[in-house]
Amino acid sequence: MLKEQIGMALDSLRANKFRSLLTMLGIIIGAGTLVAVLSLGNALQSSVFEQFVDLGTRRIAVEPGDPRAKGARDVPGYGLLSIQDYRVLEDLAAARPDLFRTVVPEVAVNTEVRAGTTAIRALLVGTSADYPEVQTVPMLAGRFLTAADEADGARVGVLGYLVARDLFGAEREALEAAVGRSIEVNGQPLTIIGIVDENGGPFSTDGRVFAPVSTVRLRLVGDLDLPGRGLQVNSVLLGLTSEQLVDPAEAAIVAALRSARNVPEGAINDFEVNTPTQALSVLQGINGAITGFIALVAGISLVVGGIGIMNIMLVAVTERTREIGVRKALGASDGDVLGQFVLEALALSIVGSLIGIAGAIAIVVLIGAVTGIGAPISWSAVAIALGFASLIGIGFGFYPARRAAMLQPIEALRYE
Amino acid sequence: MSTDYITSPIVQISDMVKEFPTGDGAFRALDGVSIQVDQGEMVAIMGPSGSGKSTLMTLIGLLDTPTSGRYILDGEDVSSLSRLEQARVRNRKLGFVFQNFNLLPRLSAVQNVELPLVYGRVDSRQRRAQASAALEAVGLGAKLHNLPNTLSGGQKQRVAIARALVHNPAIILADEPTGALDTRTGAEIMALFRELNREQGRTIIVVTHDPEIGRHMDRVIGLRDGRLAENILSEYYGVEVFERVEREHGLEPVPVPVRRQGEASRI
Repeated sequence: MLKEQIGMALDSLRANKFRSLLTMLGIIIGAGTLVAVLSLGNALQSSVFEQFVDLGTRRIAVEPGDPRAKGARDVPGYGLLSIQDYRVLEDLAAARPDLFRTVVPEVAVNTEVRAGTTAIRALLVGTSADYPEVQTVPMLAGRFLTAADEADGARVGVLGYLVARDLFGAEREALEAAVGRSIEVNGQPLTIIGIVDENGGPFSTDGRVFAPVSTVRLRLVGDLDLPGRGLQVNSVLLGLTSEQLVDPAEAAIVAALRSARNVPEGAINDFEVNTPTQALSVLQGINGAITGFIALVAGISLVVGGIGIMNIMLVAVTERTREIGVRKALGASDGDVLGQFVLEALALSIVGSLIGIAGAIAIVVLIGAVTGIGAPISWSAVAIALGFASLIGIGFGFYPARRAAMLQPIEALRYE
Repeated sequence: MSTDYITSPIVQISDMVKEFPTGDGAFRALDGVSIQVDQGEMVAIMGPSGSGKSTLMTLIGLLDTPTSGRYILDGEDVSSLSRLEQARVRNRKLGFVFQNFNLLPRLSAVQNVELPLVYGRVDSRQRRAQASAALEAVGLGAKLHNLPNTLSGGQKQRVAIARALVHNPAIILADEPTGALDTRTGAEIMALFRELNREQGRTIIVVTHDPEIGRHMDRVIGLRDGRLAENILSEYYGVEVFERVEREHGLEPVPVPVRRQGEASRI
């Protein structure tokens, strides 16, 4: 019976192709919007993630402990980090590749930077070639530091956007021309090998000058060593393999450092571990709100489409009153007629949503090809669109179908 | 002898009343009608417009429910069935032929004929076989896959008749089956009904206002103003009229049975 009724439903769609298409328009637009926006939204969001936030949410920063904190021990150099701590974390990362991708030191010193007659103050940051793995570094011109620069202690530096602008002006040509020029940092010559583009936000690189750690230590700044502990390090950034692993990674770091730094049992950590949990939850909140809003808009469109279906089904019931009478005379029960018209509404909404989904996939693929955003089709959005459209079809088809089913056979037969 | 078979009643209606609500009170379309139709009979229900003959037809066909009265169809009391049970009875025991054919325009002849079997949950292979056989029986074996609009009026009515008998119902109800046909085609359709009645023993009830059809029935049930009327053929249309018409056409007058007062009524 179901097979026959599905056949009847599709047949009736074919009988009024143009009208069916118009009826389905709301559903087509609704389902298409849902799939397209959710797919593109996901893609856009993941590209945003990659560029700005992802690195920030996938790293843990180890920073000096606060000597004024309650419970801090009164020892010289309390809380400070050194290259030894960095080595400990490097070993930890090598031992736990499941948690950590990379470890990067930051040796920061406030310095005077001079180009020709212009001088400004900027934060000189000694770091390694892996820095872009824990911090987004969009290059405006030139390149970032390499391992070879570090090994050679090369006199090279990378300027943050604001530093470069203050020294060379905002024009792009001027900034690009600056690559290869020499500046003075702390009175020492440094060749600019790259300029980082503007990238505001909490992890901004804009006000910084980057140079290899070896260069900073040996050539630019005087003695930065802590007594007996080697080079002082301002922070150590650890890139995580996944933001899901923040908690185990934090625990591993704390255990390794407490042991290496001989923190007595019961004493507080003499270092700080900053996790991205808060940034992550804010991000997820924003993400949820945006997704919810999009879903709401698409849902409204689907509901409007459903009203269109109900409207046309009511027309169909009126138009086909005699047919209903004939079918009832031949033995169709109320349930048979109800099923037939509900299935017809369902067919309208399913075919409509399939058309919309197909269109959305085409659009998403096209946009992906043109813009180069890798936009995967959100199959969950496809499933939601299809499922929701089906519910709408059944929901809005039910009332007209019930009207058809409850007609008295003789009244339906005599209907003119 | 086959008398037992012939006399077993198929339709037994007693004291049936049907009222329709109107602006000024209920209009009584049927006022206590009792009839009986036996198996294998071919009966006409006749009467002028407004006599209640169509109402009686819809009640026999379970297309509507009576205000009061008792109806036994093929040994089963169908006076107060639920809508679902009514649909089941229509599907199993009744075959309908309508004045305007009422074929579904987007279905082929054979698909139209299959409809009662679809609702009877017959599987598709058997359905197709039965429907083809039924169309064969009404002389349309070559038109199985024609859509209704490619068929003549007579052919359409044959499809409708095939549809009315494909599920082997207890009775076939025909409402003005020749009303939309020319005289010759109408005569062919009535001949087909007679053939089905004689050769397959089908019980057929025809609603008509055409005395020419009435005269060729086994029996005529007359109605006037919602009540049974005896000798409706002779009284309402007038025997003299027939005789005059027949003479004009050069035909021998057919005697019409006129029931005398006091004779026990079969009706």
